[in-house]
Amino acid sequence: MGLGWHATAASERTEPVEGLRQNTPSVHAFTGATVVISPGETLENATLVIRNGLIESVGAGISVPTDARVWDLEGKTIYAGFIDAHATVGQQNPRTESERGAVSWNPQLRSHLDAAGEYNADGDGAGALRSQGFTAALSVPTLGIWRGRAAAVSLNEGPVRERLLRGEVAQSLSLRRSRELGTGYPTSGMGAIAFIRQTFLDADWHDRARAAHAENPAGTPRPETNAALAALAPAARGEQPILLEALSDDEILRGLRLAGEFSFDLWILGSGHEYRIADVLAEAGRPLILPVNFPSTPGAATPEEALGLSLEELRHWHLAPENPARLAAAGIPFALTTHGLGRPGNFLANLRKAVQRGLDPETALEALTTRPAALLGLEATHGTLEAGKAANFIVAEGDLFASGGKVVDVWVDGVRHRVGDLDEIDARGEWRVVSANRGVEGTLTIGGRPDRLTGTLVIGEERIRTERPRYRSDGRRLRVAFPGEKLGMEGTVRLSAIVSRETLLGWAELPDGERAEWTGERVPRSEEDKPDETPQEEEPDDERDSGDPPAEPERPQLADIRPAMEYGRAAPPDSPEHVLVRNATIWTMGEDGVLEEADLLVSRGKVVQIGRGIAAPSGAVEIDAEGRHVTPGLIDAHLHAGVFGGVNEVGHAVVPEVRIGDVLHLNNIWMYRQIAGGLTTAHVMHGSANPIGGQNQTIKLRWGQLPEKLKFEDAPRTVKFALGENVKRRTSRYPNTRMGTEQIIADHFRAARDYQSRRAEWETNPNGVPPRRDLRLEAIADMLEDDILIQCHSYRQDEILMLMRLSEDHGFHIKAFHHGVEAYKVAPELADYGAGAVVWTDWSSFKIEAYDATTRNARLLHEAGVLTSLHSDNNQIATRMNWEAAKMVRAGMEEEDALALVTLNTAKLLGIDHRVGSLEPGKDADFVIWNGHPLSTFTRADQTWIDGRKYFDIDEDREARRQVERERAALLQLVLKNN
Amino acid sequence: MTHNPPNHSAVPSAVTGLLTAGCLLASAAVATAGPGLLPAPRQIEPVALIGATLHTVSGGVIENGILLMEDGKITAIGTEVDFPDDTWQIDVSGKHVFPGLIDAHSQLGLHEIGAVSMTVDVEEFGRINPNVRAEVAFHPESRHIGTARSSGVLVAVSAPDGGLISGLSAAMQLEGWTWEEMILRRATGLIINWPSANNETTYERALRDLRDAFADARAYRAARQASDEDDSLRHEFDSRWEAMIPVLAGDVPVMVAADDVRQIQDAIVWAEEEDVRLILLGGRDALQVGEQLAARDIPVVLSSVLNSPARAWEPYDAVYSMPAKLREAGILFAIAGTSAAANVNRLSHEAGAAVAYGLPVEEALRAVTLNPARIFGIDDRVGSLEVGKDATLLITDGHPLEYATTVHHAFIAGREIDLNDAQRRFYHKYSEKVRQRAVR
Repeated sequence: MGLGWHATAASERTEPVEGLRQNTPSVHAFTGATVVISPGETLENATLVIRNGLIESVGAGISVPTDARVWDLEGKTIYAGFIDAHATVGQQNPRTESERGAVSWNPQLRSHLDAAGEYNADGDGAGALRSQGFTAALSVPTLGIWRGRAAAVSLNEGPVRERLLRGEVAQSLSLRRSRELGTGYPTSGMGAIAFIRQTFLDADWHDRARAAHAENPAGTPRPETNAALAALAPAARGEQPILLEALSDDEILRGLRLAGEFSFDLWILGSGHEYRIADVLAEAGRPLILPVNFPSTPGAATPEEALGLSLEELRHWHLAPENPARLAAAGIPFALTTHGLGRPGNFLANLRKAVQRGLDPETALEALTTRPAALLGLEATHGTLEAGKAANFIVAEGDLFASGGKVVDVWVDGVRHRVGDLDEIDARGEWRVVSANRGVEGTLTIGGRPDRLTGTLVIGEERIRTERPRYRSDGRRLRVAFPGEKLGMEGTVRLSAIVSRETLLGWAELPDGERAEWTGERVPRSEEDKPDETPQEEEPDDERDSGDPPAEPERPQLADIRPAMEYGRAAPPDSPEHVLVRNATIWTMGEDGVLEEADLLVSRGKVVQIGRGIAAPSGAVEIDAEGRHVTPGLIDAHLHAGVFGGVNEVGHAVVPEVRIGDVLHLNNIWMYRQIAGGLTTAHVMHGSANPIGGQNQTIKLRWGQLPEKLKFEDAPRTVKFALGENVKRRTSRYPNTRMGTEQIIADHFRAARDYQSRRAEWETNPNGVPPRRDLRLEAIADMLEDDILIQCHSYRQDEILMLMRLSEDHGFHIKAFHHGVEAYKVAPELADYGAGAVVWTDWSSFKIEAYDATTRNARLLHEAGVLTSLHSDNNQIATRMNWEAAKMVRAGMEEEDALALVTLNTAKLLGIDHRVGSLEPGKDADFVIWNGHPLSTFTRADQTWIDGRKYFDIDEDREARRQVERERAALLQLVLKNN
Repeated sequence: MTHNPPNHSAVPSAVTGLLTAGCLLASAAVATAGPGLLPAPRQIEPVALIGATLHTVSGGVIENGILLMEDGKITAIGTEVDFPDDTWQIDVSGKHVFPGLIDAHSQLGLHEIGAVSMTVDVEEFGRINPNVRAEVAFHPESRHIGTARSSGVLVAVSAPDGGLISGLSAAMQLEGWTWEEMILRRATGLIINWPSANNETTYERALRDLRDAFADARAYRAARQASDEDDSLRHEFDSRWEAMIPVLAGDVPVMVAADDVRQIQDAIVWAEEEDVRLILLGGRDALQVGEQLAARDIPVVLSSVLNSPARAWEPYDAVYSMPAKLREAGILFAIAGTSAAANVNRLSHEAGAAVAYGLPVEEALRAVTLNPARIFGIDDRVGSLEVGKDATLLITDGHPLEYATTVHHAFIAGREIDLNDAQRRFYHKYSEKVRQRAVR
């Protein structure tokens, strides 16, 4: 290990000195520089004095201490050292072995780990950060859901004990599990959130349980001791920030919801998509850390390849570099980070791109100095160049925030780190060369890029192109070889020289083995033929050439749309005070049946009146629907669209604590296609991998709204159960048979009863160790209270019957059996029991339990008195549920009964028929205008309304698709110019 | 299935059959007792359907018409038809007669239950299987045959899949005791799965394999010919290349499954270079190559219309509206029922969706009748109501592409077929359960 940090740092330390003490003076004066004291405050021709790792004084007329080493920095600029608000420095190769000690049962819960304690100084990557001007960083643990506590460290060399600036700055959190830590629970996005939720409760309980036990150790059973939960307690109480690594704008929204639920101090590391939710972030006012890892230019080498590029991808590629500027314009403060860059060495290049795309350099400097200093609690010692603060600064040539700017030195705690050598010598240029014996004279010209030099030697009339010259500025040796033929020598001539600013001192090896000395003198050059300055940074991630960016092509003006993809909306649709649809055939699905030449009056999002000759209130939007049909908005009872991170939590067999509502996904093109087919409400469901699966989410298809606004406001909670093949597919997990499926469900309902009674006892007699809140059992207890409606995936008649009987024994109720391919075989039993059936029309034979399918399933169930609905279980089919209903007409049902299968009956089975499913006064104005009979093959939807707002209009769609084409074309042109 | 609904009066008229009263058939009622559908015997006596609207497809619509079937063929059609004395005259006034629908691409008979691999005979081992033939594995007892028929599909082109050269498809009429009886035409196409062009390296390699296969087959043909002419030259049999000789001769078309622009263009050029007759299957991007397809008379079989576009930026109705655009481009096309055996009964819905999005209804009907018949060279037998063609037809209460329409009776080559498929039988059986419960 080097001794560098001993040389100048002056604080006390515990490590004994072996050998001789090194006391090189640590007093330096930097004179003549432009000093940026803080964002917005710059001194010209100023002096900065540092002593013992701290700034002693700074200012324009300061006398240089006599004991200082003086650095003349005329023409240079000094900035405060940058602070990386979210780095992985020192967290390389984190431990993944199953933990020792009293820690969590779940390897994804690592809150007890401490970045300072885990810090690995060997190859920590500090050098790469320093090369970009960083002098301090938040070192953040990288693995797990609860990852442990981040620590602020100085980016010096040496042991972390001497570099730690502040420990336990924040608890790091991810909404995704790390596969490196195992593939158990939670496996899904929603499972991760459920686990986070439970962990908050457990941390609180652990605190109270330990305290209760400590108070009365003899009389109470001993609760568990859990270091992870103990370590999490301050963050759970809101006393320590929780730093969420958000990998999308969706994840930020999820984090904000969790923060609202558990009142913690949320910090957000963004993903570069934040501009898409700037309105939300402005309102949330949470600390924000932004990356500059802009996406690389999409591949569009051929027109065919370009067909595969979505507008979503193209837009984000184009807008991502504007992310910081757009957030700044929205008045949102932020810090910047190298996080997400494949190589931190690309930071400055990408930062400049952000500046080029509108980020004010002063804001950028703030985001790299004062903002992160304040965020990390380092404002007293870091972030500006003020006396008393740490001697952390950057010596730069040129403007660091513009092309051509260059980091020369970075000083950390008073220790110099060379980045680009101050005295770097460039071999390029024209040299007059002469052999020692004066026999040969000529001109050697070195050109090209530093890593791809070119050489030309002119001697007399002969012009010789050399092989590629080699030169590195640190060793300063130039090597050139060329064929000797033109000089009358057969073979290769090799030249080698030490380069200084104005001279070459070299020798040559001739083909015949002779050696000759030679020298060179630089030919003075005029300014304009100076070789290209190449920035010392590595190439930005998305550029093949890191030279000055080419003249920017004209940028398409892209409106802010939501979702930020094809067919996204600039604003939610209008909500007219009144809407009157005239002269339509109206399928009310209520007592009025089907009304010909009727009018529908909607006011403030609700159905007010249906009948003939309704007078239009003043200002009403009137729609002449003559010859057209109006039906209630269609409802799909079973869909899996727009769910992030998997629809199955397969980590455990029983997972009712997980919630689809936690992971609704913003950018879901299917939603647009579904409203185009008249769908207005959907029951978005957990998958079928679990006997007791997760909670589902009923949504309205309010295309363009944020996920939270999609939720059907007062829909009852529902949960997915599953029977049959799917739940026994995982051979490593109970159950493996339909027999075991019965048993595990029964077991959990018994446990939920016990849980209820334990909690009830505690309510009346709160002594001893408090019972733990268990969201899994709590959800099952809610099923016992009918607060959560059970929607059960099933195929065969035996399993359907089994669950009905089991539920009768245990006092719960099944609201509906889904798929129910053999439900018709137990139709009378279903009718007697009072369960609904939600079935396909004609899906069949994709597995053995689906072999006895019949297209008359829904018909027979309906005839037997079972409340029956259709479902899609498929994104595409959900775009045309009216045609699914139409199939049941072919199967022999009456038309209105068939349409009820995708409207009123479905609403009843989801417990939302008080608001939707029929067009009756007081209900939501969710309706579809069809260009013909809604159950005809030859009909399509013209308009789809939800809450009295028109979310789809076939004419607007024609314009929208032209807009999509125009934007794609403009962006593709930009892609081509970039390639 | 051994259950027999005891009360025939609960069974709708379709089950009892049009001709049950006569001596021709007593099959339909019996069929409910057997394990599957009971094939009907050959037509012996002439049958005249009288009074229906005849939708000939090839020759317009004949109101209040008469259609005469003899010995399995249509022998007369019009408003005034003479028929023999012993003709069974059936009054179908108010009804409609259509040619039986044809599913231009399916795995019917080869695929029973998806997740039970032993019931699936679709993909043979290896990548080059030009010699495997769909008809010999066509399972006459497949349940999906019954549901296909009662939805109006009376002919299906059944095809193997997988690998590079999947094998030979066959047009099957959906009635008969054995696959042999059900063959309408063998070798309707050599199925080729055009390789994915997403990966340049694997694409090149696969195309080379394809070209090699055809070159090898040509060499084989030449060698065989030479040995036929010259006894001293011996060349031994190769099943694969032997099977490709009719393809090389242009007697059997190649049906290439390809979706992307590049695949389609490459397939067009390849087929020209190989001098083989091309049918395009799938053809998601066919419109992008529409002029070339039209100019070369290359027909397209659309695997599915009831679908959404693969790319987010494409209009929501891009697939629904594609048939209308293909027609405008002058391309001959057929619509298939998604290819899945269990989905053949959706064929009419697939074609109907195209009507909602701009295709004239008579064109949609052609896409599931005469067009596929022409594409596969079975238009001498099926695809329209014409004298001389098989009496393979439907008697309905409306247009067969409309959801509300029911197929009341169907004939395949003059035989009235049993429409009481397994799905209907399940319905009747468990309706009886409901009834018994109500009585109890």
